[in-house]
Amino acid sequence: MNSRPQILAALACNLDADILAAALPLLEAGRVEAIEWSFDALFWAEQVPDWFESLLDAYGSEQRLLGHGVYFSLLSGRWTRAQQQWLAQLRQLAARFSFAHITEHFGFFTGQNFHHGAPLPIPYSASTLRLGCDRLGRLAEACRCPVGLENLAFAYSLEEVKRHGEFLDQLVAPVNGFIILDLHNLYCQLHNFSVDYDDLIRLYPLDRVREIHISGGSWEASALEPTRKIRRDTHDEAVPDEVFGLLARTMPRCPNLKYVVLEQLGNALQTEASRRQFGRDFGRLEALVQQHQPAPGRPERLFLPQWPQQPGAVAEDLRLHEQQQQLSQILETSRSYEEARQRLHASALAHTDWELERWAPPMLETALSIAQKWKK
Amino acid sequence: MKLPKVLLSAIAVGVAVQATTSCGSKKSDPKPKTEQQGKEPMNCPGCGLG
Repeated sequence: MNSRPQILAALACNLDADILAAALPLLEAGRVEAIEWSFDALFWAEQVPDWFESLLDAYGSEQRLLGHGVYFSLLSGRWTRAQQQWLAQLRQLAARFSFAHITEHFGFFTGQNFHHGAPLPIPYSASTLRLGCDRLGRLAEACRCPVGLENLAFAYSLEEVKRHGEFLDQLVAPVNGFIILDLHNLYCQLHNFSVDYDDLIRLYPLDRVREIHISGGSWEASALEPTRKIRRDTHDEAVPDEVFGLLARTMPRCPNLKYVVLEQLGNALQTEASRRQFGRDFGRLEALVQQHQPAPGRPERLFLPQWPQQPGAVAEDLRLHEQQQQLSQILETSRSYEEARQRLHASALAHTDWELERWAPPMLETALSIAQKWKK
Repeated sequence: MKLPKVLLSAIAVGVAVQATTSCGSKKSDPKPKTEQQGKEPMNCPGCGLG
């Protein structure tokens, strides 16, 4: 009989000295049941060390290597050379490594250059749905394994928060894809929009959740509303108790859950104290995973990928592209919330599907911070 | 999942000697960490771009 657990406790594990130093005691103890690798963060590397390839192979050979893309910019209006190259490199990596699945993030990247920028949401429209489905089909064709999308932490409005799960469902359905439910991202939305967990979680397609992420983040003061703090998904702190609470409540609701992943940035793991805390967080994750293992014999939903056999021309939306360019420019260069607000209301985004007239002011303020943090 | 001891040893050595940074060039990393910790972190953000 196969004694493999049905839900695996996993770590986000990149070629990063600080992450690996924090993970090493857990790897040595045999406690890490799967690893998630952000493969596109390594496209720069001329040569990956043999020992890191061996680590990826060890997990890959057991169908426990998860590929997690960051920079594809799934929902950019224009199809770019960088996206084409990204797919070509994914195709090569998928031939070299045995990925259990490949995932990406929802949204488009603000930056003009690859690897510079941050993911932000797009309008939920028929046009953006068509774009996303086309790109996910190309992604599935390139990697030839199950494909998933992660929910985004940031949103401009409560209406957008409420529609996010349904739109993710519509995006992944044509490729028979799945959802990564990032519970810290959900936590950001619960806090930033004062939503009740039960009201929000029922709006997600939980039967499509194959992977859950947990991580930490940070609080940012709002100059517009000084009594208020905005929660941001910065992955630079320990996992809050509230997120472990969300994990305990959410796991039983996800009948096809297979991986629970702890994420933290390497630059937040440079002290002994932070590495010990990381180990404790993994221990809490591990205990919850053990506690919520389904009864033996649960049938596994495989999410086998589907893609068009004869892909047509790449889907593009040049109007969306122009709007994204204007939005990125405004967010990256405005010196204040008020300047950004005025420029947006005079831009091509005004009175369109972006519904910027309904954006919560502190969230526009946060979008400015995010875009200016990551611009090059 | 148990990993071979030889692999774990190789990782330990690799971590010790490889001052790897994921989001920059391996060849050009002239600044000490403290000078670079402004807009761009030493380690790759992966997720956490929020």
